[in-house]
Amino acid sequence: MTASLLTLADSRLPAGGHAHSGGVEQAVAAGLVRDPASLAAFLLRRLQTAGAVAAGLAAAATTLSSSGRHRGQVPSPVAPSPTSPSSEEPPAPSSSGLVAALLALDAEADARTPSPALRAASRQQGRGLVRVGRRAWPSPPWDALPAAPHHPVALGVAAAAGGLTPRDAAAAAAYLSVSGPATAAQRLLAMDPLTVAAVTARLAPEIDAVADAAVREGLPADTDPLLDLLAEVHVVRKGRFFAS
Amino acid sequence: MITRVEVVARRGPGGRTVLPVVRSCGQLAVRRTGPSTVHLVATAFGPLGGDDAEIRLVVEEGATLAVRTVAAAIALPDRAGDRPSAQRVVAEVAGELDLRPEPTVVTARADHRASVTATLAPGAVLTATEQVLLGRTGEEPGRWTGTTRVVVGGRPLLHTTVGLGPGAPAWLPPVAPRAWASTVHVGQAAGVRTAEDAVRLPLENGWVATAWGAELHTVVRAVEAVA
Repeated sequence: MTASLLTLADSRLPAGGHAHSGGVEQAVAAGLVRDPASLAAFLLRRLQTAGAVAAGLAAAATTLSSSGRHRGQVPSPVAPSPTSPSSEEPPAPSSSGLVAALLALDAEADARTPSPALRAASRQQGRGLVRVGRRAWPSPPWDALPAAPHHPVALGVAAAAGGLTPRDAAAAAAYLSVSGPATAAQRLLAMDPLTVAAVTARLAPEIDAVADAAVREGLPADTDPLLDLLAEVHVVRKGRFFAS
Repeated sequence: MITRVEVVARRGPGGRTVLPVVRSCGQLAVRRTGPSTVHLVATAFGPLGGDDAEIRLVVEEGATLAVRTVAAAIALPDRAGDRPSAQRVVAEVAGELDLRPEPTVVTARADHRASVTATLAPGAVLTATEQVLLGRTGEEPGRWTGTTRVVVGGRPLLHTTVGLGPGAPAWLPPVAPRAWASTVHVGQAAGVRTAEDAVRLPLENGWVATAWGAELHTVVRAVEAVA
């Protein structure tokens, strides 16, 4: 591990994550999150669905943009094209190959994010991360990304640019899937910060398990229709505090 | 038990759909019940844990196929161990496929894995429904995992896995429904619609609607209301 991972998972990284509650604001409005126990349950279901998918996408994006360093560590989420070489250790994708591979990964993210509100939130945060990541860790793979990629795809590229492994990227994605929403709940419900910190810290074994599965089993598709519904109800609501 | 079903629908003389391939072995028989409709008939109890069923559907360009089942499927636990039962629907569609099976009831301790993988040519039409009830009346809920992947013209349109029942990631109180229904449609676009415990989300040239709750009949009504 390098200190890049700490920077990447730090809520002070100005990538725009503070504007999003990961569905917590609407869950609070719907009475689903109201105390530490219900917050812990909400974070766990988010971690094991949206968080698991984000971890898988981030790990795959790191593998793709790591110039072959971590090839083979993560099962390829994208079926190889019939023209690609079938050797055990394929060469790092050329620039146009990387563009196509990241675009295909971004399309897999779209397919796993049918909610327009969640797609917009993810792309907004992806764009924010590209902006800061380019400055923090200059690296050619940034140029291979679409303009507003899904956040986990951008996160995976950032991890590669910072010299991190696919497992690191997966851990950051899994952690970020709960850390931002936990802080949002603390602010919305005026909860005790120590209690919320403890709720997040106790999820560490589950976060590690999600990150391990992301590099071991490839790209999952776990979804929680409740999060989709909350996001769509939230996005048309007046007077909301968070963007999502 | 291994179950295999294969149906190929082809555009025949005068635009009628013909079925040049109708094959089945294992726990399901195929009956042609209409000009372009087949019913799958269960010939044994189940599925039981350890059973594996694959239903392959090919709908060629200009052909139409409707697939129904005659009764709810009752997923039962493995008699010997804790193996899951599996049912995979693999569809290649250039024409129009309408897949609406009766509900799946997942009994206590059963673990059923269902998947629908649909590969569509541009312009193909798909409607696929799924209805799930965890546990019979008064019974503990079983475990159900359903994966849907729809690819259109080589591009992934939808890929989701929903887990229901004790131990499933997103099945936690206070939202741990016993009943669940979903419909995915490709062919006609529709926008977002929300209701209590139901949501319709737009897909390119289609939509996906989901509803959940305590009773299957109310959930089915809810998914039809947002669809």
